[in-house]
Amino acid sequence: MELNAGTAGTGSHETASERKEVAALESLQFTDEIRRLMLAPATDNASSFTALLELPAPQAVQLIHSPDSVKLTAVHAPTPNVDDFKGSFHFPFDSGLIERAARFSLFAGDGNINVNNKSNSLEPTSYNSTANLQKPVKSEPAETESYQALVSDPTVENRSIKRKDREKVKGSTKKNKTAAKDSSDDAEKLPYVHVRARRGQATDSHSLAERARREKINARMKLLQELVPGCSKISGTALVLDEIINHVQSLQRQVEFLSMRLAAVNPRIDVNLDSIFTADSGSLMNSNFSGMVMPMMWPEVQLNGNRQQYPQQSQFGAFQQPVWGREEVCNNYMTPENSLLSYDSSGNSASLHSNQLKMEL
Amino acid sequence: MDLHNLNPSSLKSRFTTRFLRALTEINARKPIASSSSPREIFQRYRRIKDAADTSMAYSVRSRRTWSKATLWRLRTPSHRRRLASFGRRSSLNKTRTTTTASHRGAVVVQITSRGGGLGVQLEELRELVPGGEAMDLCNLLDETAHYIKCLTTQVQVMRTIANLYSLE
Repeated sequence: MELNAGTAGTGSHETASERKEVAALESLQFTDEIRRLMLAPATDNASSFTALLELPAPQAVQLIHSPDSVKLTAVHAPTPNVDDFKGSFHFPFDSGLIERAARFSLFAGDGNINVNNKSNSLEPTSYNSTANLQKPVKSEPAETESYQALVSDPTVENRSIKRKDREKVKGSTKKNKTAAKDSSDDAEKLPYVHVRARRGQATDSHSLAERARREKINARMKLLQELVPGCSKISGTALVLDEIINHVQSLQRQVEFLSMRLAAVNPRIDVNLDSIFTADSGSLMNSNFSGMVMPMMWPEVQLNGNRQQYPQQSQFGAFQQPVWGREEVCNNYMTPENSLLSYDSSGNSASLHSNQLKMEL
Repeated sequence: MDLHNLNPSSLKSRFTTRFLRALTEINARKPIASSSSPREIFQRYRRIKDAADTSMAYSVRSRRTWSKATLWRLRTPSHRRRLASFGRRSSLNKTRTTTTASHRGAVVVQITSRGGGLGVQLEELRELVPGGEAMDLCNLLDETAHYIKCLTTQVQVMRTIANLYSLE
């Protein structure tokens, strides 16, 4: 006090500027204090609407559930994540609702469901972790959206959550219809199927079962499309089925044709199984496929009797003659090798060779 | 040329060994004479084709409906088969087919299409896949996929064998 009086008294012109500076400093301190004062009541009142709106979303969530551990300047949300988060996270402003929703999702995930389990693990982490909020959101955007549906079982739904809340949460699934596809894909692998009811669809057990059945059928059709070459481009079940039928018919015809060929060719029975296993089907058959019409005609002609032998032979002969020429030459070799093979037909090539050697000796 | 190219218990190798055994058996029973008539060749063709189908169905070990149906088709003689199939069809397919029996031996079956435009193709598919008459759509598609896979294996093996024989 005396010092102050003394300093105040000594130099009047100096103190004017000093006083201004002091006043400026004091005003700065005041503003800081005022700011602190402003923010403090906001942190206490966690559920106030306006306070929440000022803050970015993750911080607001933290505020709701752990008001003590808030560090307002510490958390820097990277902007793209926050945008995703804001867009997808339909923000329930009532803490009671959030607790109820958390409880409900824990309810629903009692079964063995992949998607529901993911959403279960997601929700507690998203609500309780302070700094790790963006990571689960970033890694599984589909799941954050799908847990919003919170409808896995109609019975649970009726039991535990009010209709108003359910519709509020379900409203966000408008944007998220693609997430249902993931759930349906997962549903294929499960022992029993949990089907999500999308918005505007009936949720009684009959339509759910039908929808599950339809999804099963669609999955099998996709597998078939991959099996049949050239089918993946075609859209529409009828055309795909046509393609499948054509493919099966052509395969059956090929079997008939090949067995016809085997019947005609005189087998030189030095069966070398190594060469069979390593030799792939070459393109030699492609030139002969023009004769594929024959197996279809062949049984009919045979049934008619022997009257039409000559036209048969002319058709068949053109195909057959090179083979028959070889047949006569090869006839001599057949019998000893036949006897060889009758001993050991399990096809061990080493034993065959040893037998041949013995015979020669 | 490596010896153990294939998994020895794969479908392909099982089918190959069985089929070759059957082929040699057929050739041993009736060796080809140089002047074989088309009729003989036709009989041979039938035997080879049946052997191929049987060996493929055996390799699958009747885990599948189509393999059971194939084996049954090739085992039971045709007259017993017709009676059995009449009983089977009338009992199982009442929703789908209307059977009008004209007289004791012959059964006239009218297949009515059901379920939109897919009906015709479904019936065709049922006819193609052995044992497909009494299955619902879901299982039928499953069977078709397995059947296609086995048919392609069969064609591959038979083609290779035929090439080997005809290359001599």
